[in-house]
Amino acid sequence: MSTREWLLTEQPASRRQARAGQAYRTWIAFRQNRLAMFGLGIVLVLVLVALLAPWLAPQDPIVGGSLRTERLLPPSWQHLMGTDDQARDILSRIIYGSRITLLVVALVAVIATPIGLLVGTTAGYYGGWVDTVLMRITDIFLAFPRLILALAFVAALGPGIENAIIAIAITSWPPYARLARAETLTIRAADHIDAIRLQGAHSARIIWGHVVPLCLSSVIVRVTLDMAGIILTAAGLGFLGLGAQPPQPEWGAMIAGGRRFILDHWWVATMPGLAIFVVSLGFNFLGDGLRDVLDPKARK
Amino acid sequence: MKHLPRLVGAALVASLGLFAPVARAATPPDTLIQAWAIDDIISLDPAEVFEFTASELLGNAYQGLIGYDVKDVSDIFGVIAEKWDISADGMTYTFTIREGMKFASGNPITASDAVFSLRRAVKLDKSPAFILTQFGFTADNVDAMIRQTGPMTFEYQVDKPYAPTLVLYCLTSTVGFIVDEKLAMEHEANGDFGYDWLKTNYAGSGAFTIREWRANEVVVLERNDNYSGPAPEMARVIYRHIPEPATQRLLLEQGDIDIARNVSADSIDALAANSDLAVDSGVKGSIYYLGLNQKNPILAIPEVRQAMKYLVDYATIADTIMKGRVVVHEAFLPLGFLGALEDNPFALNVEKAKELLTAAGYPNGFKVTMDTRNTDEITAIGTAIQQTFALAGIELELIPGDGGQTLTKYRARNHDIYIGRWGPDYQDPHTNADTFARNPDNSDDAASKPLAWRNAWDIPEMTAMADAAVLEADAGKRAQMYLDLQAEHQQTSPFVIMFQEIEVMARRANVQGFVVGPSFNDNSFKAVTK
Repeated sequence: MSTREWLLTEQPASRRQARAGQAYRTWIAFRQNRLAMFGLGIVLVLVLVALLAPWLAPQDPIVGGSLRTERLLPPSWQHLMGTDDQARDILSRIIYGSRITLLVVALVAVIATPIGLLVGTTAGYYGGWVDTVLMRITDIFLAFPRLILALAFVAALGPGIENAIIAIAITSWPPYARLARAETLTIRAADHIDAIRLQGAHSARIIWGHVVPLCLSSVIVRVTLDMAGIILTAAGLGFLGLGAQPPQPEWGAMIAGGRRFILDHWWVATMPGLAIFVVSLGFNFLGDGLRDVLDPKARK
Repeated sequence: MKHLPRLVGAALVASLGLFAPVARAATPPDTLIQAWAIDDIISLDPAEVFEFTASELLGNAYQGLIGYDVKDVSDIFGVIAEKWDISADGMTYTFTIREGMKFASGNPITASDAVFSLRRAVKLDKSPAFILTQFGFTADNVDAMIRQTGPMTFEYQVDKPYAPTLVLYCLTSTVGFIVDEKLAMEHEANGDFGYDWLKTNYAGSGAFTIREWRANEVVVLERNDNYSGPAPEMARVIYRHIPEPATQRLLLEQGDIDIARNVSADSIDALAANSDLAVDSGVKGSIYYLGLNQKNPILAIPEVRQAMKYLVDYATIADTIMKGRVVVHEAFLPLGFLGALEDNPFALNVEKAKELLTAAGYPNGFKVTMDTRNTDEITAIGTAIQQTFALAGIELELIPGDGGQTLTKYRARNHDIYIGRWGPDYQDPHTNADTFARNPDNSDDAASKPLAWRNAWDIPEMTAMADAAVLEADAGKRAQMYLDLQAEHQQTSPFVIMFQEIEVMARRANVQGFVVGPSFNDNSFKAVTK
């Protein structure tokens, strides 16, 4: 029996086999979506580039060359994306910048998703005043435009990449909480939840063991779709001088630095802009594809 | 659908219009339109104005008692004052006001207006008031020290026999400009000498009147028909608030504005190459420097201070990042000032710096922070310095902040290194000696807080030298005193003085006659023609 047959069997012999089979079927469905595969490709390339930055980057991203001879050079074989006003190779900076971008995206996902899930499932499961209090707090956060709120937090915490991450995380959990609550409201009344409750399971156990896993797929879709927004917010903060600090090669900050030269030296601002564009697009395609396979309601 | 053909026709015409060659927009022939970041204006009152843009406005809209030739600042002449006499003891100046001059309101200019204006500036005691109060004036004694002696004469009595040029130069700054007493007092409220009203209004006698100031939007000036000098050709001068240099450049290229005031170093060449445009520049008194806080034990070591002076690539920065915007200058008095030292003994020398650091006990360098204002230019200079510091192992962390943040930290002496730009307040050498080389009280709660204080540099002897130079009446001897002071300061001070600023503006080729002077209130558009 080949692995493929083992995975696709109609009668799995174990739970593990059933789960693996389910995952494999999802993967097959996902694979048929070309755009989603394209998005996945971009994201994988981003991860690889970030991991291998020291080997991929042709030059040092922070220490520039000679200001007199290597400054603001247009793209050439020597410098594929040109050099910036400090005579630094822009390609190298973008390669190292992918680490910052990935770090922001990963940390925001790790911080914001659990908060959103916890708040949403708790509110949805308990209902009543718990629901009211938690959801009104969520509403307060949702009442502000995200970038403005992030700006306020960074202004209070001080500029820097860590604080930018915290600020973005604080401002991005409310939609997840909303989503998780809506899912929980439908799951809460399901028969299998009642059955668990009759067996005497504690509320915390029910939420963690049975509600959260059911909410997870839609939240993951939402988080993936939000990645592009997170990248843009981080770049926006960097652009305004509130994110990563010089000489860090953060893409948004690089655009801000290149803005001065946009009329005579277009590549300085354009190259990091392209990087942001491509990566955001990749995350969006990936999120779209994931929604198609993970969200049963949207499945054709 | 009867209208369809007509609609299609209209759309066709509209799209043709879009693709037809763009008709060049031109500004009206009697109006000068400038684009500049004018967000620094907080007041239009001469007793309060201390900002670049507002100084320039007042320079064109008000007149002082005296003025100087912007090409040769040692040539001092009377403007509102016809002449002045200095008493034998050097402490009393008797000014005679020129006959027949009028304010824009039509009121005649008399000694009473001059006395009112100067007393008013001392009593209001706003930021630039120290320029006058350093001569011993206080709100209590000013009525006795500045006194009217006739309809067109008054006496101005200082507390020590200062060098006469110092006293006179201070009167050329915006704080000494003459305000229309009658008009200001008509708008007085609660004994404020018309301060509230004058913040946004105008009561002067210059070539232009300030008609309107809308914050962060526009300033409109109009020709003053009562002006005593030659009537300006421009009937109107408009400043538009356009902060982005790139936007200014596009507007200028299209002919929507006549002068772009914020020109980035990297676009000077491209602008100069355009035959419709011309680039003007003038050396300004502003100086770019690093302040090394002596509260930091490492920076307090003389060898470390010296090493840092060898770790800035002055020439390369001036030739690349700041090309056309700065010249290398390493002494605290800017070129053009009495006694300015022109030696530039320091250049990038990593070997020498490493030797000095080894002697100081830090052969492998150390970590230090620099508070950097997040403007493009300061950040670019800071980044370049970061790279040359790294060559000697000094790890420089840039802490960016807006002007308010970095300045607050600097004023509280909480920085390690501060990268700053200092503009002189008046044309006498004492203005910079006072701040770079004087620190009468280094305690945390000192009354006066010059730059030497901000960097906690305790220098009783140098302070005494600077004080002595103020009282020297002979210009030649005084210049030598400042040269000596700068030579010592250059070697020992915790200031890495790097550049002197060049102000650059780009104009349409047909706009002639804008004068770029050494300080901002000397920038003049009185003689502009188009």
